[in-house]
Amino acid sequence: MKILLKVFLLTAPINFAYAAEGQKSAGLPQMDITTFPSQLFWLVITFSLLYLFMWKFVIPRLGATIEERRDKISNDINDADNLNTEATDILKKYDEQMASASQESNEIITNSKKAMLDHLEMLKKENEEKVNSLISESQAKIKAQEEKSKIEIRNATLDTVKAIVSRYIENIPSDEEINKKLN
Amino acid sequence: MAADNPIDPIHQFEISKIADIQLGGIDISFTNSSLFMVFALAATMALFVIGLSKKSIIPNRMQMLSELSYNFIANMLRDQVGDQGRAYFPFIFSLFMFIFFCNFIGLIPYTFTVTSHLIVTFAFAGLIFVAVTIIGFVKNGLGYLRIFYPSGIPIFLAPLIVPIEIISYLSKPISLSVRLCANMLAGHSILKIFAGFIVMLGFLGFAPLVFLVVLYALETLIAALQAYIFTILTCIYLNDALHPDH
Repeated sequence: MKILLKVFLLTAPINFAYAAEGQKSAGLPQMDITTFPSQLFWLVITFSLLYLFMWKFVIPRLGATIEERRDKISNDINDADNLNTEATDILKKYDEQMASASQESNEIITNSKKAMLDHLEMLKKENEEKVNSLISESQAKIKAQEEKSKIEIRNATLDTVKAIVSRYIENIPSDEEINKKLN
Repeated sequence: MAADNPIDPIHQFEISKIADIQLGGIDISFTNSSLFMVFALAATMALFVIGLSKKSIIPNRMQMLSELSYNFIANMLRDQVGDQGRAYFPFIFSLFMFIFFCNFIGLIPYTFTVTSHLIVTFAFAGLIFVAVTIIGFVKNGLGYLRIFYPSGIPIFLAPLIVPIEIISYLSKPISLSVRLCANMLAGHSILKIFAGFIVMLGFLGFAPLVFLVVLYALETLIAALQAYIFTILTCIYLNDALHPDH
């Protein structure tokens, strides 16, 4: 208001001068009531047009655009949240599968180890048996050969004894006699 | 003559006829004032027509500007009045844009400032005053009279408080209109006076020129600020009408 007063004081001489000269615009043009109807008339027209323009055109369209954007943003956020949940689920599933797979593989490893050891044991046993049987067979063979050799030696001895004896005496001793003497 | 006086700061407020129109003996000529009202209307329309020509999710500059102004006024109305104020949004928005553009166009040299005329601002203020009073009585009935007697005031103070409240209520349209008009009038006059000093002082005119530049920046601020103040006060009056208990 101080500023306004200053303006009035500054302009007062000019305005009074106009008034003194009998100018049409005495004082401030703001106080000239003859211009009021025109100003009001055109104000009503322009402002009504502006109001209609705002009411019917700007606000619905702008509101719709802003609403649309808000919806889009919230939809996108929702989508992102859903995808995030999905990804978390997939990760969880993956972890579970990994855990079960590793467990399974552990089982397989343990089982195959066991199977391998069993198989090895079995083979060992089989081989041992085979070896044992071979040993016993061989032993039997050796024994039989020994027996056979013993008999052969005895027979050879008998024949040798018989030949030696028949050189010196007429009477050839029987095998039983010789055997008695040998033992 | 006004045109002969280079430092006549009032000349810029004079209304001159462009087309003489008489309607039933009343002079409703198309004047420079009317022309600049049309300019303000055109500027607002241009802003929103360009801003809304390509409604996109990611706005370009003009769309951003129109959305910013929309959100600015919408938030102001929501903060001051709440959801009940939604119905008055077109009016408040139009009011702000009109006053804003009138103030700003008036800052361009050789233009006319529509809002520097008291009759224009008083037309707005009077309309708002009448509308707010009607809204107050329609929404609250006779309960609207409570605004003249705020709650928590001792009864013996009523003879003092009630007349004061009535006077303050009745002076609202005057203060509202004079505030805007006086700011525009004073600011533009001072700008013109200092512009005159530059011419008169010749070489020494750079001193008022520096001052003028600073003052012009201040006036730019005031142009926006006064549009804002006028609008927010309208919102506050509207809120009083809708919620007289506060």
